[in-house]
Parts: sequence; C-alpha cells; structure tokens
Amino acid sequence: MSRETRLRIGADVGGTFTDVVILDDAGHVWTDKVLSTPPEFEQAVLQSVARLLARLEADGQAVTEVAHGTTVATNAVLEHRGALTALITTRGFRDVLELRRIRAPQMYDLFWEKPRPLVERYLRFELTERLSATGEVVTPLNRDDLAQICARLQQAGVESVAVCLIHAYANPEHEQIVGNTLAECLPGVQVSLSHQVLRERKEYERTATTVVNAYVRPVMQHYVGALREGLNEQGVDAPLLIMQSAGGLTPAEDAAVRPVYVLESGPAAGVLAALALVQRQGLSNAITLDVGGTTAKASIIEDGQIAYSPEYEVGASLSAGNRLVGGGGELIRAPSIDIAEVGAGGGSIAWLDPAGGLRVGPQSAGARPGPVCYGRGGQAPTVTDANVVLGYIRPGRLADGSVSVDLDAARRAVHDQVAHPLGLDLLHAADGIHRIANARTMRALRAVSTERGRDPRDFTLVAFGGAGPIHAASLARELGVRRVVIPPLPGLFSALGLLFSGVEHHDVRSCRLSGDALTEAALAALRADMEHGMLAQFAAEGFPADQVKLSAYADVRFLGQASEIRLPLEDGRPRTDDRGRTTEDGGGRTKDELPTTDYRLLTTLHGAFLAEHERLYGHRSDPDNPIEVVAVRLIGRAGAPDAQTLFRPVHRPPSAVRRSSGLLRSALGSGGHACPDPRRPHSRD
Amino acid sequence: MPEVDPITREIVQNALAAAGDEMALALYRTAYSTIVRDCLDYSTSLCDANGEMIAQGVTIPLHLGAVPYAMATLFQKYGHSLEPGDVFIMNDPFDGGMHIPDIFIVQPIFWEGERVAFAVATAHHLDLGGRLPGSSACDNTEIFQDGFRMPWLKLYRRGAPDESLFTLLRANVRVPHQTLGDVRAQLAACHIGERAVHDLIRRYGVDTFKTCTADLLDYTERLVSAEIARWPDGVHSFVDYMDNDGLGGGPVRIEVKITVEGDGLTADFTGSSPQIRGAMNSTLSFTASVVALAVRAVMQQDIPNNGGMFRPLTIIAPAGTVVNCVMPAASSMRGVTGFRMADAVFGALAGLLPDRVPAAGEGGNTLVIIGGQREREGRRTSWILYELLSGTWGGRPDRDGNDGLCNPANVASNIPIEEAEAEYPVRIERYGLVQDSGGAGRFRGGLSVERQWRLLQGEAHLGIRSDRREHAPFGLQGGGTGETSINLLHHPDSRPTDTLATMISTAMGEGDWLYHRMPGGGGWGDPLTRDPALVARDVLNEKVSLTAARDRYGVVLDPATLAVDEAATAVLRAARGGRGEPVCSPRAGT
Repeated sequence: MSRETRLRIGADVGGTFTDVVILDDAGHVWTDKVLSTPPEFEQAVLQSVARLLARLEADGQAVTEVAHGTTVATNAVLEHRGALTALITTRGFRDVLELRRIRAPQMYDLFWEKPRPLVERYLRFELTERLSATGEVVTPLNRDDLAQICARLQQAGVESVAVCLIHAYANPEHEQIVGNTLAECLPGVQVSLSHQVLRERKEYERTATTVVNAYVRPVMQHYVGALREGLNEQGVDAPLLIMQSAGGLTPAEDAAVRPVYVLESGPAAGVLAALALVQRQGLSNAITLDVGGTTAKASIIEDGQIAYSPEYEVGASLSAGNRLVGGGGELIRAPSIDIAEVGAGGGSIAWLDPAGGLRVGPQSAGARPGPVCYGRGGQAPTVTDANVVLGYIRPGRLADGSVSVDLDAARRAVHDQVAHPLGLDLLHAADGIHRIANARTMRALRAVSTERGRDPRDFTLVAFGGAGPIHAASLARELGVRRVVIPPLPGLFSALGLLFSGVEHHDVRSCRLSGDALTEAALAALRADMEHGMLAQFAAEGFPADQVKLSAYADVRFLGQASEIRLPLEDGRPRTDDRGRTTEDGGGRTKDELPTTDYRLLTTLHGAFLAEHERLYGHRSDPDNPIEVVAVRLIGRAGAPDAQTLFRPVHRPPSAVRRSSGLLRSALGSGGHACPDPRRPHSRD
Repeated sequence: MPEVDPITREIVQNALAAAGDEMALALYRTAYSTIVRDCLDYSTSLCDANGEMIAQGVTIPLHLGAVPYAMATLFQKYGHSLEPGDVFIMNDPFDGGMHIPDIFIVQPIFWEGERVAFAVATAHHLDLGGRLPGSSACDNTEIFQDGFRMPWLKLYRRGAPDESLFTLLRANVRVPHQTLGDVRAQLAACHIGERAVHDLIRRYGVDTFKTCTADLLDYTERLVSAEIARWPDGVHSFVDYMDNDGLGGGPVRIEVKITVEGDGLTADFTGSSPQIRGAMNSTLSFTASVVALAVRAVMQQDIPNNGGMFRPLTIIAPAGTVVNCVMPAASSMRGVTGFRMADAVFGALAGLLPDRVPAAGEGGNTLVIIGGQREREGRRTSWILYELLSGTWGGRPDRDGNDGLCNPANVASNIPIEEAEAEYPVRIERYGLVQDSGGAGRFRGGLSVERQWRLLQGEAHLGIRSDRREHAPFGLQGGGTGETSINLLHHPDSRPTDTLATMISTAMGEGDWLYHRMPGGGGWGDPLTRDPALVARDVLNEKVSLTAARDRYGVVLDPATLAVDEAATAVLRAARGGRGEPVCSPRAGT
C-alpha cells in the first residue's frame, strides 16, 4: 500500500454484528464483519479497524475520515438502560411528560399500557418561574427553589438532567440560568436545555425530545469518547462523523451533545445506500428491507424520493412515522427517514406461549449469547438456527471466520425446544419459525406500502442486512413483488452507505409571522440567526463557507390551521432592491411600497403554498385567508462524495471463505427453491 | 361479481383503511379550531354505494355507529337525486345527526356515472351559534338554544357551491373563519377519500372493488358473530347515574340489560330516565355507537372498523327517554350521557366476561368553554377556548389503570398549553395528576387529572360540563371507587373561592382562575392483595401517600427509605381480614 493512498472508513454497529468497510481513493473496498461487543460496542469497531489496517499494511495516518452509524443510543432507550435522568420543569407542570398528548395509539384496546416515562415522577422537579407566550417574564425565576432542586439532584445521584420550561422557545433566559447553575453545583452532570435541543412550541413534544436526549447523552458521550480514544491509539486521528436519523453526518462531539438527532443512525445509512443503488439502476420505486440480528426495518422510496418524518416514536410495538396516531413509544420530534421497524431479526428467539402457541421474538439473543448454532453460549433457538436447520445458512465459518455455524447444535435446539414439545418433525418446526418471522417482518413492509394504499407490486424490493436476502424471496412472493435486488455485500450495505453521505446540520426557529409582520426582513433575521451559528460550526469542522450549501425552508399554513406545509425559501437574506437600498425592515408597508425583491419572495412563497395545499388537499381553503409562517428551518450540507464507487466490484475479499455453490436448496417448500447464500459476496474474487 | 384473489382483497381492504386514515390526516392538517386540530374530535369514513360503512379512520370510536343512521336519512331524502359533484351537509340530531355541534359532510363518489361509494367526514365544531359561546351548554332546554340547525342540505350541487348556504352559515356562528375553515377541512377529507377510491378502482376495476367491499362487511359480521357465539349465554343488567340534569335536578338514571343469546347480542335501555330538561339527551344513533364500541372493545379478535360490526347487535332504546330523545330536546352536551352509557354497558359486560372489563374510568371528558370578545386589528371579534379534557382509566383485571389517558370511547388528545396561551387571553397555571385520587385495588385506578385556567383580560362566558361528584367511578371485584370531581372559581378580590356546580353556565372576570379536578378511576380487586412493592413505588412517585398506603392498602413503609416493612404489613393486613377498608367501599352493579 503506497504512502499516498488515502482511506475512508465506514463502521456500522448493530445489535448483533459490527460491519466495517474501508474504501481507498481508487474505489477499492475491504470489509470485515464481526460480532458486536455489548456493552462496550466500540471494541468490535476498534478490533476490526486494527485488523483491516494491518491487512492493508496501512497506518492510521492514511485514514481521512471515519463515518459511523450506531444503534447504541436507540438500544439504550428501547431497553430502558439510559442514564439516571431528572427533569426540571415550570411549577405546575411536573406531569406533562407522563400525560403525553393523552392519546392512545389504537381504538378499542382496554389493555393497552402507557409506556413508563423515562424520567419517573420522583425525579421530576418543579421550579417557580413563568414566561408568557411572547417570552416576557410573568414570574421571575426563584433561585432558592433552584438551589433546593440542585441539592435534591445531588442526593438522588442523577447522571443527566433535562430542563424544559414553559415557553422557553420564546425566551431561553430562564433555561440558561438553570443550565449555568447546574453546571456549577453539579459538575460532571450533563444538562440538556430544551431550547438547545428543539426550539419549537408545544411543551410535550419539546419535553419528550429533550428528555430522550438527556437520557441517552451520557451513554453516547461515553461511547463516542471510548471510540475516539481507541482510534487515536491506532494512530487514526481523522474526524469521527456520526450518521444522523435524517441522513447526513455530524461530528461525534455534536452527536454526543445532541444524541437525539442520531438515534436512527444505522437504519438511515442503509436507506441512503439503497437510494443510491436504485437510482443507478434507473428505478424510481423501491421498498427497502433491512434485516439484522435484532430487528427488521422497512422504508419506501417513491418517485426516487426517500420518505421523511418530522417526528417518530422509539419503542412502539410497530414503530413507523407519519402515522395518524401516536402514543405507543417515546416521542422524538427530530427529522428522520421514515422507517417502520419490528422486533424480528436473525437473533429473535423462538418460544412457546402458555397455550402452546409458537412465537418468535421480540426478545433477541443478540450478539451475546447469540444463536445456539454460533456456539457462544446461546441456549434458545433463534430464527438463524431455524434457517440453518432448513439449509438457508450453510454450516461452517461465518463473518470474519471467528464464528462457526454448528448445524447439529441448531438441530438439537430446534428439536428439543420447539419440535418435540409441539409434536412436529424437525423441518416443519424450523419452517414454522421461519414463516412466523416472515409474518412479523411483513408488518413493517405493509406499514410502508399497503397500509398507505401503495401496491407493493409496483415496487422493487431491495433487501440487505445479514438476514435480509434469506427472507427476501418468500416475502416478495407473499407481497406480489416481482423484482428483488440484493446488493453486493448485503450484510455490509449500511456500512458502505455511510461513506456516501456528506456532513449535514439542521436548525429551526419557531415564529408566528403573518399580515404585516410577514416580511422578507423578518424571515431573513431568523435565517441569519441560524446561519451564523451553522457556518461557524461547519468552519470548526473544516468546511469553509464556500463549501457549504445552505437551504432554507419555511413552514407555512393558513393563519390558524393545525399543521404546516414545508416550502423552500428561495432566498431569505436581506438584499439590495432595485433602487439600491438595503431592505432591512418591510414592516408596516403596503404591498405596493414593498421593495420588489421582498414582494417577489413572499409572492412566490404564497403561490407555492396555495399550489401545494391544493395538490395535497384538493382545495385552496379560503384564498383570501392570510398565510402564516410558523417556523424557518435551515439545512447545511458539505462534503458529499460521489456515489459511483459504491457498486464497484469488491477487491481483495478479506474472508477466509473462497468458494461456494452460490445457491443453496431449501430443505422444505414446494420442491425446494433457490435461495441466496449469505456468504456469496465474500466468495467473489 | 368476479372472484378476487386473496392478495388483491387484502390490499384493497388495507387500502380502504389507509384511505380512512389519510382522510383523517387531511382533515387534521387543514383544520382551524383547537377542538379539531388539537383535541381531534372528528372522524372520517368511507361507505359503499348503499351507505354501509366500509372503513373508518383511527378517530373517535363514538362516531362509528352514527354513520349508518345519517346515511339512512340521507337516502330517504336524496336517494333518487344523488349526482356527481354533489356534497351534503347536516347537523340536525332529528335528521340523522348526533348533536348540533357535529357537522356531517358527505360526498357521493361516482365512477363512470355509477355511484360506487361515499366519503363521510364528521367534525365537532367550535361554535354553531345558539344561546352561548361554544353552542353547547348543559342548561340549554331546547334544540333551538343549541345552535344553527341544518337538516340534510346540498352544500354543492354538481360541483357548484350553494353560496346562500355558506352565507347563512357564516352569519349564524360566532367565529366564522374557524367554522367555515373546519367545514373546508371536512371537504378536503372527502376529496382525499374520493381520490383514494378512484385510485383503487382505476387499478383493480369497479367490479373487484365492489366484491372486496362486500366481502369485507361479511367478513366483519362473521368475526363478530363467531366471537359472541363463544361467550356464555346470559342476561346482565347494570345501572349507573349522572349527578344531575343540567339544571340542578337529578340524578339521571342509565339502565342497560345485556342479553347474549347464541351469536347475537341485545342491549336494552328500558328503565333509563325520561328525556331530561337539560342538554344531555342522546339520539338513538349515539346510543347505538356506545353499544358497538363497548362490545368491540371486549372482543379478543382484531375486527375491521366497518358497518359489518353492527349486524349482530340489537339496540332497544324507548323513544322519549334520555337515550333516545325526541323533538325539541336539547342534546348539545349529550357526550357525557354516551360515556355513562358506556360505563353501564361495560358494567353489565363485566358480569358476563369478568376477566376482560376494567373498573370505571373518569366517566368521560370534562368540557370547559371560556369565550369572550377582544379587539384584534381594529375589530371586535369573538374568541372561544373549547377545552375537552381527558381523564384516566380504571384498574384492570391484570394491571393498573393508565394515569392520564383519553377515555377508550374517545380517542382524543389535549390542547398544548403553549398553543392555548399563544392564541387566547388565558394562562394555564397547572396541569397534572392528583395524589391519592385513584380507586384502591389490587390494580389501582388511574389518578385524577387537574387543570387550572386564569382569564387575563376582560369578562368571559364560562361553561362547564363535568360529572361524577356524587356518583363516583365504580370499582370492580372489591376495588374502591375513584376520587370525585370538583370545580373551584377563585376571584382576585377578597371574595371567597366558589365551588361551582358540575354543570354550569356562568361568567368569569379578569384575573379569575378556574380549577378543575377530574374524577379518578375505580380500582379492580381487593386492595389488601396489592403487591406491596407496587404500593411502595406509588409512594416514591407521590402518586399514593404514606397514609393512604397504610389505610387503603394495609402496607407499612419506612417513612425515610420507603422500604416495605413486611412484618408490620402482614400484621396490618391480617387484622383487616383481607376485607377492604370502608373508606373505599366497592359499589357493585345490580
């Protein structure tokens, strides 16, 4: 390996496997797949990086970037294993977090259980202070109250604190005082202030999002710190970037402070990779299916566009954004790729319920102890064990070779714990496990297709993740999907996708601009407020302003409506009008007196809004009704590489596995059907 | 009719359900009033060419049963003159509606000249004129006080709006841009429904569409019948009460007898109070909704939301009673009657299926209507804050009631405090749970929800609809009753704080605050058998006090560490002999 070669690393950590890929300037790819190492997830990444660098005979200095996707934060929420977290809120509003939006996620279920709040009532503290909706102080902050709360926080030994005061989006002053005081009296305890996490109106949404941020922040901080340290020890001092839920990378330091924006890190990378693949193949409609060890995730690409969601829930039994009702999980109001997820992966455990029914998941054997056939201590039969029994996975070595698949162990487990108690023969029992896992996975696929009135027959199924290809064909048949695409390196697809995303930052300011107050200048002021901070952040990350592409958006509605339509804001900066004056304030002027540029921008915005409203809802409401801008958003992007190299042939397979038949025969089913060998990509030379 | 393959049928059926949800999203997104866009008091559905409901969006279950009655009267009047481009409007409880505030918008959907379906959107409107702001008032005594009444009318004729109708509606409501805006949101929902149906027919053909929808209704009927057939045959009655009739008289008796025989179920409300003076009279359509809702909720199978659900049910509700009112009864506040009917039906079903029915929840939402006038941009305009407060659940056969969650009959939401304060001259000073307000039980009833509003400027009308101050939410199987409700009005001057009646129309002055505590949920099972660790957890979270832990649950905790004193607990519980403490005596159904 020449000294000049520059390397980029993509590392995707899942609940079961950790995938690492290295890409060089010439587009050559080296890969490694190892079992994840909970709770020290960073260990697997570091070991893989060391092994690959050694194989390439490269040193750490050759690495220019480490792009990372991780489920560490999501897992902490799902398993309620985050930090001991407290919440400070305005007096009178201790229960906002627990009351949520009052709504249940479904009708007619008398046994539905509201999720237990991440911060229990005894750790939710009320502070005497109050602001009005316009940000004026109604009740001054009571410092004695605050001192008492500090003492109680110390006593309780909390590790992280969320602060969400009523109307803090309008005036952050009180939250800042709380933040400063906590920093003094509780050094080492991390503090998440709501106006810094999500500066938007609606107290529950802001509180919930801030609480999740606080809850996972110490976990993320520790993880990112350990990873950074480990990389440094290997001489890798390149920037460490984390994939965000909405796609786009952000520096690890930022992710550690605002982890709520990277919760859906790993899944996002897979969808981005799928989009690149689909575009290259000239397709426009695809359903993506990512089956890992713990979960199956589905997403939809329609007319070449990824579906996004402004908010979503973690931990609902079926997690899917853009659905009508919420309440089933932890609400996160942060942009994300719209992904439906169910607890059905290769590691999902097969078990018998008290009535003798065969069930699969949602408990997963994960990486530890793992499926029985891996011989790493797993005792309960999993979907992977069933797939081994059925011949869908070959016995022998897997991943980097450190895992060996033991057919006899899989057969014993499925026989003793499923087939024998149910009085079935071995193959039928294994097939039952496989089909039940499929049925569960089908829920996620339906959530993004038929449940939205989309006919899957119009879509191509792109299946990846370690277990995706094994299940893809039978799921496609059931859905009526005619074409299935399995990318090369399906098990490493998400890791590869990490290398084809640039750095991206999002910011938002709530506002209420209508009538005379809605001017270009007012929009520009909000934008400028965000732009300054964002460009400074990019500069600190090594991107000068001329390499940053900024896009501004306005959330627009008819005055008084419930929800908004997001529209691009062509240009919200103050600029010189035709007469050479700077238009800083258009307030109070009639339309005719407005500077021409101002007039054009708002006219464009108004026209675009009416057109989009009609397209979405079939009517323009009352065309005389004024429009209102309720938020201005800014997205900055920099440094997105070319996706061409993503699908070049694999160079130098790292695996010890060299050849396989390429096809396996299912041991069951209508005459046996061809199914892909998950090791196939490794066998290319 | 063609044979349809199972995948196509599944897709069409899912697509219809998805269309119902899409309609609901469109309505929500384009609505103006807080009652629709925040409380979500609306529903959307699709009906087949004969008006039988084939899908409902995940919205208010209590509207489910009203659609068949509305469609029946629409057919009576316009069955022979339905044309493409027509849209109908109706809010008349005596012409197929539920109560004045609920406007039905119905759009027939045609395909190549043939009627194939209907899109239906129902929304609770902020104000439709009448005696007081918000239209609804418990002490309205005639429908004419409830507001502007529209029997079935054509709002659009062959695509052309009837401007005179819009003009008339605008002139008769207090906040026209919200009422008209919400009507347009309903039109948007119907438009989305039409588009979805057209998409399906374009893809699969009109015959396949018809086969699929007919199959869906039959399939639902079969599921419901099969489940009822598995229940034990029997007859169970239950009586519950509303505290008063809206004008200080009362109580109002709700009696129901449930008979399960073979694969059919009959709910007979004979014995309920005659029609009352106040505005809590229910229409037959609403009463039928309640029965369908309760029966559906205790079923173990997942049942599609459509009209097939009603086929195995028989409802008996004598005309001229509070459960089937006749002209000129007022009905604007009949929601609470619906919740009480639901409590009674659940109470009766608990006799049949004891392991599937929770103790009583809060007994329905409280309505708080604060409305006044203000200067805005040089004009005097009306404002109305219409709060639909949701409460809490009763204890269940295997778990506690949810603390602070919408009644299962009403999948509603709350108004964010920050939104309310940004729009109205009101400050919300408290919103939370109340310690010791859940009925004691092996599984505790949910805690009461409390909320406090202060009026910041001017004078305002204050209307309240609450209940369950005298007839607390019942426990089951030895569980205690939930806490009762209260309303306090405080004046900034030295006058004493007033305790207001549960149902009242009054005034609020500048600086006054109103405090409302909703009822708590009833408990399920003997509190002396509750796991002491759960009691300790409740005490840690200040949901139950140390005193109540001892007095109601017989659990002794160390006041400093909150550790369970096992020995003292055992002694105390033994001394009680396993019987509940009289402070929270259970009230069984008759």
